[in-house]
Amino acid sequence: MIEPVVRLRGLSKRYGDFTALDRVDLDVAEGEILALLGPNGAGKTTLISIVTGLARASAGEATVLGRDVVRDYRFTRRAVGLVPQELNFDPFFTVEETLRFQAGYFGVRLASDRLEEILEALDLAGKRHTNTRALSGGMKRRLLIGKALVHEPRVLFLDEPTAGVDVRLRQQLWAYVRRLQARGTTIVLTTHYLEEAEELADRVAVIDRGRILLVEGKDRLMERQGGKTLRISLGAPISGLPEGLAALGARLEAGGTAIDVDAPPGGSFGPVLAAVATAGLPVGDVETRRARLEDVFVSILGSDPGAAP
Amino acid sequence: MNGLGVRTLFSKEMRRFLRVPGQTLLSPLITTSLYFLVFGWSLGSRIQEVDGVPYARFILPGLVMLGVVTNAYLNSASSLFVMKLQGTVVDVLVSPLSYAEILGAFVAAAVARGMVVGGIMWIVGALFTGFGVAHPLLALLLLVGVAAGFAALGFLTATWAASFEQVNFLPTFVVTPLTFLGGVFYSASMAPPALRWLTRANPIYYLVESLRWTVLGRSDAPPAVGFAIGGALAAGALLAAYSVLRSGWKLRG
Repeated sequence: MIEPVVRLRGLSKRYGDFTALDRVDLDVAEGEILALLGPNGAGKTTLISIVTGLARASAGEATVLGRDVVRDYRFTRRAVGLVPQELNFDPFFTVEETLRFQAGYFGVRLASDRLEEILEALDLAGKRHTNTRALSGGMKRRLLIGKALVHEPRVLFLDEPTAGVDVRLRQQLWAYVRRLQARGTTIVLTTHYLEEAEELADRVAVIDRGRILLVEGKDRLMERQGGKTLRISLGAPISGLPEGLAALGARLEAGGTAIDVDAPPGGSFGPVLAAVATAGLPVGDVETRRARLEDVFVSILGSDPGAAP
Repeated sequence: MNGLGVRTLFSKEMRRFLRVPGQTLLSPLITTSLYFLVFGWSLGSRIQEVDGVPYARFILPGLVMLGVVTNAYLNSASSLFVMKLQGTVVDVLVSPLSYAEILGAFVAAAVARGMVVGGIMWIVGALFTGFGVAHPLLALLLLVGVAAGFAALGFLTATWAASFEQVNFLPTFVVTPLTFLGGVFYSASMAPPALRWLTRANPIYYLVESLRWTVLGRSDAPPAVGFAIGGALAAGALLAAYSVLRSGWKLRG
């Protein structure tokens, strides 16, 4: 079996009586984008902080590329990049100086072509000599990503990278994240925006109150948990469902003008359409709707026996 | 060892204070000039000599000591505190720099600022009093040691502090009063008994007297005592700062 890039085993973090992480086991595979989803205070940032060296675990083990993040911190930190949740900037320095300093901390001399590549990719080339204090919020966010990439990490942790970012910039950042993945960077992403996870992630880990509730391939998760719904809009309202349709689990909706049927996982809508034709119903329109990750997420959190009422 | 990392952090710290020379270099230059105008030139013409030394020349070592310790302290304290406030301390904490490397770079830059400011003050003062130094290497050794101690104290204070007021507590309420009551402007042996007792109970007095010995070749207290206090201060403060940084207190979760 291929060694995971990040491996967590029994990872716990307690602050006094509060348990921020509770015996977390998690593997992140090389080259994937893993979305860590969870409500506020679920433990997402704590988990990232332990792997990147900003916090220490109370128990358990975290390894990056097979090396312990505490014992072999020099190795693991060179392999990891962090885009923190909070915007930060040093008002004394320019964009270029900031990137050069960050590379230097990692023992890397930032070559001019690499610097230019990062500036171009993040649309900061025109701001190279600008003091970071004078950057807009979006530019500061992009600079954070640049800082996390100067040492060419194998794994990039993005902690809510698009929090408070406008739609255009969010699209740009997503495109850039995809490009990084295409170049082989493994990405762990925490986000409140389920749309973001749906857009980017290969796998999703749902975390709540410090516990990982589920880790699964995004498509498989949505297939399994969400399935599809078929809606048949009728040309004229009906007062009751024909027997054949009721037996297939159909529901009469919208005041008798629509029929909804949930498809079983992997199942087909063929029998439903056949039953509609047999009953001679006046069909106006037919559409299918796939459950969004948001629905899946709410359903998982809702089924967690320890979840707050 | 992450040599490039240490040099980068040191260089960043140096550039930080050189970016605001009006605050970090010009301000002590003006303050020292004013001290010499008021105490050295104006009052000095009436006091003439202390223990056989021209008054302006007598006060110079104490003023240099005050400049060195204050600036060394303020450099590491204000830099680390601003990094905490702005969140940029994360940039260093996620890097492969060891605790000793982080502390070493902060302290080295703070000592450098202290020595630059102390050097400027000495040059300004020496224009009034002459450039002779009895034991220059020992003077440098003492100043570097004391500056390292105060730089480490600044690092510790910034780690703990939640406001600029707390950062400024030590220089305003401890260092400056102790320095002024530590024989910078007077000789303890010439002071009234109560002040003499107070002065001799003050550790800064021994640092000032030892520096005075390295510059003038004479002092009111045994020079070895000041060197011992300076060494103990540097070792104790550096060890404490290292231990606190290693513990993660207030910096790592």
